[in-house]
Amino acid sequence: MATLAAPAASPPTPPADQIEHGSSLWHDAWLRLRKNRVAVFGAVTLVIVAVACFLGPLFSPYGYEDQNLDLGASSPSLQHPLGTDTLGRDLLVRLLYGGRVSLGVGLAATFVALTIGVVYGAVAGYFGNKTDAVMMRIVDIMYSLPFTIFVILLMVFFGRNIILLFVAIGAVEWLTMARIVRGQVMAVKRMEFIEAARALGFGKRRLIFRHILPNVLGPIIVYTTLTIPGVMLLEAFLSFLGLGVQPPMSSWGVLIKDGAEKMEEFPWLLVFPGTVFSLTLFSLNFLGDGLRDALDVRSSKD
Amino acid sequence: MLRFFASRLLQSLLALLIIITATFFMLRFVPGGPFTAEKAVTPEILRNLEAHYGLDQPLWKQYLDYLGSLARGDFGPSFKYPNRTVNEILGDKLPVSIELGFLSLVVALLMGLPLGILAAIRRNTWIDYVSSSFGMMGISIPTFVVGPLLVLAFAIHAGWFNASGWYSPMDRVLPCLVLGIAYAAPIARLTRGGMLEILNQDFIRTARAKGASELRVVFKHSLRGGLLPVVSFLGPAIAGILTGSFVIETIFQIPGLGREFVNSAFNRDYTLVLGTVILYAGLIMGLNLAADLTQAWMNPKVRLEG
Repeated sequence: MATLAAPAASPPTPPADQIEHGSSLWHDAWLRLRKNRVAVFGAVTLVIVAVACFLGPLFSPYGYEDQNLDLGASSPSLQHPLGTDTLGRDLLVRLLYGGRVSLGVGLAATFVALTIGVVYGAVAGYFGNKTDAVMMRIVDIMYSLPFTIFVILLMVFFGRNIILLFVAIGAVEWLTMARIVRGQVMAVKRMEFIEAARALGFGKRRLIFRHILPNVLGPIIVYTTLTIPGVMLLEAFLSFLGLGVQPPMSSWGVLIKDGAEKMEEFPWLLVFPGTVFSLTLFSLNFLGDGLRDALDVRSSKD
Repeated sequence: MLRFFASRLLQSLLALLIIITATFFMLRFVPGGPFTAEKAVTPEILRNLEAHYGLDQPLWKQYLDYLGSLARGDFGPSFKYPNRTVNEILGDKLPVSIELGFLSLVVALLMGLPLGILAAIRRNTWIDYVSSSFGMMGISIPTFVVGPLLVLAFAIHAGWFNASGWYSPMDRVLPCLVLGIAYAAPIARLTRGGMLEILNQDFIRTARAKGASELRVVFKHSLRGGLLPVVSFLGPAIAGILTGSFVIETIFQIPGLGREFVNSAFNRDYTLVLGTVILYAGLIMGLNLAADLTQAWMNPKVRLEG
């Protein structure tokens, strides 16, 4: 947090000053996270992958749909560092473009899940009693539904629409977030500073969003980081079944699917997308675990 | 215990009804019907076809008729395979998926439990690190990457297995291994966590102080409590294995329910889609219920809260 603000801030304020203003919890967490080598590795890898995906294609002479049928599938070379696919399209460029889609779906769908889950969980946790009982029973029932099957049905029936993909995946993944937030809110709402805020006459909405939620941010951040790989997996899973984005666009799932079909003759078509995808998931999971340790979040699942 | 069971059963049945209703109406409101793909269907033939399958009836009547035949255990005729009923198709495909799922679960438990227990007993040694890196790999490398890579290495290059198919016992090895490993990882992680929590408790120290051997401490005193998180994970795990088999069945071209489900959705084969969804939902919820009950039986605290 502090380092992000430091370059933009005007010189007269020394960074150390800002840190003292910030809550020491976040500062401690930052120090702990920095010491965790795997988590730092994950964060650095993610930044590299993201920057490469969003800026890389600008520097490439090829587009993601430029075909070169005379060339066909060629193994990695100087012109095409990761080789080309059967239509002669440059794999590196397709990998970077696919990364935009995969990362984009990962972030967007996680945002949908985050929004629904946090609001739902906070409301259930804050009001408690009957409201909570009914709301959480609904979550229980939804947990037992075979949602993946519904997502597949949706994608088959309504076409491979990327917005629908965000919403469908987000709608599946919010349940755990709701449970976590509810538990945290229940614990925080009994604390004295909430009592004080209530005594000052603040409304319920202000209490929930301004006073309670900022104090349960740790678990929310950790779980969000761990939701992204889950969402990306689901997107790739759908793409693998042929239900992802439309060609000639690509996503990592689509590339893996294509690669798996042609791996016998052209193994690089499978190996590179598979490696990049797994590496990204590794990094996200490492970072999520590191954040969990750094913010000292105890999850009931571990 | 009986009340707990009854309330969970009621909840599952309610959820199942919601699923049937939602799927039924969703199917009728999506663009395209089961006969739109057929070429040159004259309006007359189309009307006859629809009359034959009762599609010309009002929607609510179709719905009630369907529920009625469901209650008799009849999933109706398939729209795409004219001479077959959905019951026959499901009867053909289900055993394959069950076998795949069951063997994968066995693989997952046989790998995950020992790894988790070892990691907990030998905490912060190399065994622990190997176990947790294995766990990270299982979570981060998806089955649709592991599967094709293993096929490439062991079927195509080494030639030990067939790259696809479901005929000989050897054909079971790769698919079940791929699906099993994916779930061995979280099982190992949960086992380690659960065992560590128990091993730190006072009654374990007492047992050690009384001179109980390490084996006895682990198997007699800790295992039941330590495995609780794993048991509660089994419900979701089985659901995941069942849906995960879609991908496995695609990779290895196994004639199971997952392939059939995706195909039937593409074909708009209403009755077959519904039948598959109901079967999956019923299986998943039934197994979730079984997992809940096992958990309640192992841990009285859960039972009382239920």
